[in-house]
Amino acid sequence: MFGLNKIIPVNSDYKFLNFRKNFYILSGIAIFLSLILLFFKGLNLGIDFKGGTLIEVSTNNTNISELRDILSPNFNEVSLQEFGDDQTIIIRLQNENNQESIETVNKVKQLINDKVSEFRRSEFVGPTVSSELLWKGFQAVSFALIAILIYIWLRFEWQFGFGAVVALTHDVLFTLGVLSILGIEFSLSTIAAVLTIAGYSINDTVVIFDRVRENLRKYKNIDLIEVFNMSINNTLSRTVMTSITTLLALISLYLFGGEVIKPFALTMIIGVLVGTYSSIFIAVPTLLVFKFRPQDEDDNEN
Amino acid sequence: MKNYPLWKIFLVFILVSLGVIFAIPSILYQEDTGNWYLDNRLNLGLDLQGGSYLLLEVQTDVLIQEEFENFSDTIRIIARENRIKINNIDQIDEELKIRFDPAENLEDIKNSFLQNYRSVKFNISNNVATISIDQLYKKSIQDSAIKQSLEIVRKRIDESGTKEPLIQRSGSERILLQLPGVKNPERIKDLLGKTAKLNFHMVDDDDSKSLSLNIAPFGKMIVSDINNEELKYLLEKKSRVGGENLIDANASFDPTEGHAVSFRFDTTGAQKFGKATSENIGKRFAVVLDGVVITAPVINSAITGGSGIITGNFTSQEAADLAVLLRAGALPAPLEIVEERSVGPGLGADSIAAGKIASIIGMILVCIFMILIYGSFGVIANISLIANLFIIVSLLGTIGATLTLPGIAGIVLTIGMAVDANVLIFERIKEESFKNKKIYETIKKGFDRALSTILDANITTLIASLLLFVFGSGPIKGFSITLSLGVIASMFTALMLTNLLVHFYVSFTAKKEINL
Repeated sequence: MFGLNKIIPVNSDYKFLNFRKNFYILSGIAIFLSLILLFFKGLNLGIDFKGGTLIEVSTNNTNISELRDILSPNFNEVSLQEFGDDQTIIIRLQNENNQESIETVNKVKQLINDKVSEFRRSEFVGPTVSSELLWKGFQAVSFALIAILIYIWLRFEWQFGFGAVVALTHDVLFTLGVLSILGIEFSLSTIAAVLTIAGYSINDTVVIFDRVRENLRKYKNIDLIEVFNMSINNTLSRTVMTSITTLLALISLYLFGGEVIKPFALTMIIGVLVGTYSSIFIAVPTLLVFKFRPQDEDDNEN
Repeated sequence: MKNYPLWKIFLVFILVSLGVIFAIPSILYQEDTGNWYLDNRLNLGLDLQGGSYLLLEVQTDVLIQEEFENFSDTIRIIARENRIKINNIDQIDEELKIRFDPAENLEDIKNSFLQNYRSVKFNISNNVATISIDQLYKKSIQDSAIKQSLEIVRKRIDESGTKEPLIQRSGSERILLQLPGVKNPERIKDLLGKTAKLNFHMVDDDDSKSLSLNIAPFGKMIVSDINNEELKYLLEKKSRVGGENLIDANASFDPTEGHAVSFRFDTTGAQKFGKATSENIGKRFAVVLDGVVITAPVINSAITGGSGIITGNFTSQEAADLAVLLRAGALPAPLEIVEERSVGPGLGADSIAAGKIASIIGMILVCIFMILIYGSFGVIANISLIANLFIIVSLLGTIGATLTLPGIAGIVLTIGMAVDANVLIFERIKEESFKNKKIYETIKKGFDRALSTILDANITTLIASLLLFVFGSGPIKGFSITLSLGVIASMFTALMLTNLLVHFYVSFTAKKEINL
């Protein structure tokens, strides 16, 4: 209609796999750096996983340093942070035992009551609960990866499952690395974002693999690399289209969805970008490790 | 449209209409109306409407410890009856070791002890008795403690005037509370933080030596005053009457003593109290709440009516709260708050507003993009997308799901991902259009070829989101529900609604070929 559909050429013929070594190196470095970061800098764990107390307040024209001056002398470990605008402030207090937390919140409320127009939220997570939440989050991510692997294995051949999981692990590690370097708070909703990225990344990979499988059957005499390139190009416009619509929705969520949801939206944006990249440049080339021949396919079908 | 099956048209029409009809209450109405149709809307989670989520842990360790103290008291009494001397009693973890002086009738002790506690392990060797309990016994203590606690918590929350609280057991020793619209969570936490064990003990004012040494003789205990920790009382360990015999308690005002709590005993309590007071005129009795003495007045005359008042420098709020606690009864063991999430109404309202704006803008961006790329087919995809949203909202409302902030994020994400199935179909149709001449064959092949891809792609997303539901807590569950429903609804709208609309469009415009 507007001719914009020609942005993505209908019969594109990019030789993605011919540059695969470059992308292996690129991804290899990125993953290595992510692991280094995760190991040495770690994730900025929120109170969900670290335990502690968080209070969000709206102030009456009081700036953050005034509040800090009031609170700092009274608590050992207290940190304050502006949240969206300079009138909204988040107060974080380090982990006490469960009983003390009630007193802590009460004490904070008393100390700054006349500077504050609204106590917007208060959260407390005790040490036992935070370690349980961390364990549950870990389980959720691991089981999701295993379940997806099994599904791919059942629907395709196990080599495809391997490729999908390599791409998936790549995406999750890379996203975690970016979270670490940006110091984005890692909370329950970040786990949800990471799992959704896993789902999205697989979704993207599966669409291309579907075409790879189809083309392997169709073009039995064409070189493997050619078949893979062709499959990526066949699905390229879909890959790009879906990434763009998803990103449009996520950017809107990031910009307008409010402060609380921002880390979630940002994590997802990173994940969608890297998920799209890895489906094309990592997942498909990984299949070259296995010497697929169309004959194998026929055997499997019988 | 000649060959399009009529039943398919009907099915799509009915399902989409149902989606719209049942989404309307959620979109337009906020308050309960009493009408079954209008009340069929999605509930807002605590993070959107404001309120408190509390996770409480019953401190059953305290109970187990109490049980062991009961064991050693019982052993002392039995040993005294049997004239056997006890050298010492030692508790190592969950095992009680009692060293007796050599005696021949140690088996008697065992027998009389086991009459009191049937399922306890009791071994004697070399004049040392070992008492231990097994896991089953421990579990039964925990189990009954949590059941009682649940009931008391429910009573206290009801008394505090909270509307529509959700109170349920969570795991083996936790209680989960959801209190929508609570404005002052601190007061609720105060109410739940007190065990409220009330007992009346006689004061021993004759034995000043034990008090000054701070060592209680057998059968006595030393308890400090609520307002002054230095002030100690020597009390009989056995209470004369306890809070379990109270049938009513109310905040009241005493002209000389200020705010007070008046109470009334049941018949048994009144009898016990009457007996204790008539036997001990001129002596003092102490009102002990959660291990501290609130007041210790002198008994001037026998109190046989079964009612009285407790004074103790209360504020009016403290007196009111104490009355609530006494009416609701004592917790079997202390409760500890292990997780709290309270959201004020301001933040909730802001989140809803932000969520609405993000959804609408995301929607508009995606719709514009689809039209730019696919033209008329983009319009078809957009109609499917809107129908998809109506279906999600109506499903959430009908199953009574709770919409949380991450749930809104799930909906926005669905807007972006739901067009995927349409894109897959359109891209396939485009490819087929280069090979086929006949337009209906092109469309049919496009849909058929896209089907298995759509299924594979969406099932993997469903798996991830299902696991989120299983392992996620609270708000995260809300995210996984909206995402799952979104994925399912998008498969339906793409395969059925888009299919119908594409056929309708092609036959209406009498197109001969597709140029996507």
